[in-house]
Amino acid sequence: MRRVTLPPRPDWVEQVERLGFAFHTIDGETYWDESAAIAFTLEEIERDIEGPTEAIEQLCFAFIEKALDHEEILTKLAIPAEHWDYIRESWQRGERNLYGRLDLAYDGRGPAKLLEYNADTPTALFESSVVQWDWLEQAMARGAIPKGSDQFNSLHERLIAAFKGLREPLPYRLHLTCVQGSPEDKGTVDYLADCAVQAGLDARFTYIEELGLLTDGRFCDGANQPIETLFKLYPWEWMFRESYGKALNRSGCQFVEPPWKAVLSNKGLLACLWEMEPGHPNLLPAFFEGDPRCATLSARHVRKPLYSREGANVTLMERGRVLDSDDGPYGAEGHVLQDAATNLFSAEGKYAVLGSWLVASQACGLCIREDASPITKNTSRFLPHYIEP
Amino acid sequence: MKRSSQIGLGAAGVLLVATVWSMTSDSQEENLVYDSLSDCRAAGQLTAQQCETAFSEATAARLKDAPKFQSQTACEAQYGANGCGSATIGGAQYFIPALAGFMLARGLSGGQAQAQPLMPPTTSACPPGSTQPECQQARSSSGSSGGGGSYGSSSHSRAYSTTSGRNVTAAFAGGSRGGSVSTTSVSSRGGFGSTARSFSSHSSS
Repeated sequence: MRRVTLPPRPDWVEQVERLGFAFHTIDGETYWDESAAIAFTLEEIERDIEGPTEAIEQLCFAFIEKALDHEEILTKLAIPAEHWDYIRESWQRGERNLYGRLDLAYDGRGPAKLLEYNADTPTALFESSVVQWDWLEQAMARGAIPKGSDQFNSLHERLIAAFKGLREPLPYRLHLTCVQGSPEDKGTVDYLADCAVQAGLDARFTYIEELGLLTDGRFCDGANQPIETLFKLYPWEWMFRESYGKALNRSGCQFVEPPWKAVLSNKGLLACLWEMEPGHPNLLPAFFEGDPRCATLSARHVRKPLYSREGANVTLMERGRVLDSDDGPYGAEGHVLQDAATNLFSAEGKYAVLGSWLVASQACGLCIREDASPITKNTSRFLPHYIEP
Repeated sequence: MKRSSQIGLGAAGVLLVATVWSMTSDSQEENLVYDSLSDCRAAGQLTAQQCETAFSEATAARLKDAPKFQSQTACEAQYGANGCGSATIGGAQYFIPALAGFMLARGLSGGQAQAQPLMPPTTSACPPGSTQPECQQARSSSGSSGGGGSYGSSSHSRAYSTTSGRNVTAAFAGGSRGGSVSTTSVSSRGGFGSTARSFSSHSSS
């Protein structure tokens, strides 16, 4: 694993925009950054990323089984009690999941370590699946990287296949939704809608603010069309607490991600997994704040709110001193403390976090985000990667 | 290969195909699909001159390579109603599948392969009355447009066949879709989204 400096394509803006990638620059700052790439060996990808990603997913499934039987775990995860049965039923019905992203610390030496699991509403999908794929083809064509290079990235194919498997019979009608005013979220959902169409589905978009409730208890879109299946790029922990939360149970709607993903999309998962498998090579020691065992953590550790996105409210501590933090609105539900990873990839004064993608619980892709600080935030830059021939 | 073998994008109207590098060959391709000459020009991926060349190549190749039938009925049995037209080839009258679009492999290092004609999907891929969206698009519209969009507009897919009889599906940005009528009424609206408003923060990660 190494960081390779490369000259960007002179027309890279046109090249990525031709794919429909509109958010390559966010708030005036470069987000898509092809001035460097991370090169891996195939062994690093398969042994250290692909394998552990699927192993962690299996561990997560074992944890869900346990959590749904233990109310004290659901309480610790701050999941509202009135939704426990709803979550249990979605798990017992075997509702399929579409995708998720494990964030890993890995520097090419030793096992990758789980930083967190974005199980419910991950973004950076379109740029992972399409933009870096097209970058690879062109980088080989212009001789910037060796011909015969590859990429850990079958996301596009897997997403189309996964949409076909979410429910029966085919083709079904799929609504997709996200909040208004976020080009990044809208771009992600539009890409997923494109994949759904290619899977043969009748895909329709509606903003989450437009959702309505019909007199028969079903949700409907902005055009009053009833919703049977809904992909929502909107977190479960918010939906549970908003006014339509009490309508979920009677809506007859199949949600993607399914409600049971709420058990995983929670930083409390990190403490729970460590409790289940202490010493697991791909886990970092972690405990709920207030647990006396927090005293056993390293002097350098990270404090994370149970619900947090894009690095918001995450604090890196050393001997009680704050080294780095990101402001944000989260933290009311509690925190976990986790050992700081000692194997973050670092080169040229920057830190890189690996995002390991799962589609229908299969590891099938990778994205790299690089930041000048050890906390990956929503201002981090996306770097493409390749596998050396 | 650890990556997708091809990526079709409806909004951008492109079909990208992974290069399988043989260490001796220096060729690589990207497949572009357009329904018409004007779509090709509007998409802006090729120059107007390249579009015209590709279109005339595809037109000529259709006359040369498309399956030829003695009757309209025989042709339509394979390509569906309105899927065929008459053509005079070497002084004789034939019925051949219509030109539904054209596909070309663009060499990224500058070379450009000859354009291929695309014809309506065969009835084996899209049987009469098929509800597959790509078949409905293919059958219902003549001269629909595609290409050049960006994410944000609704997209559709469209089925075609090649002169060798292979069925292919491309995806495009496109027109609206008819909605069905709901017999229930709306009791409320706007019950989701309040947390995002109050946080004014990212709902995704």
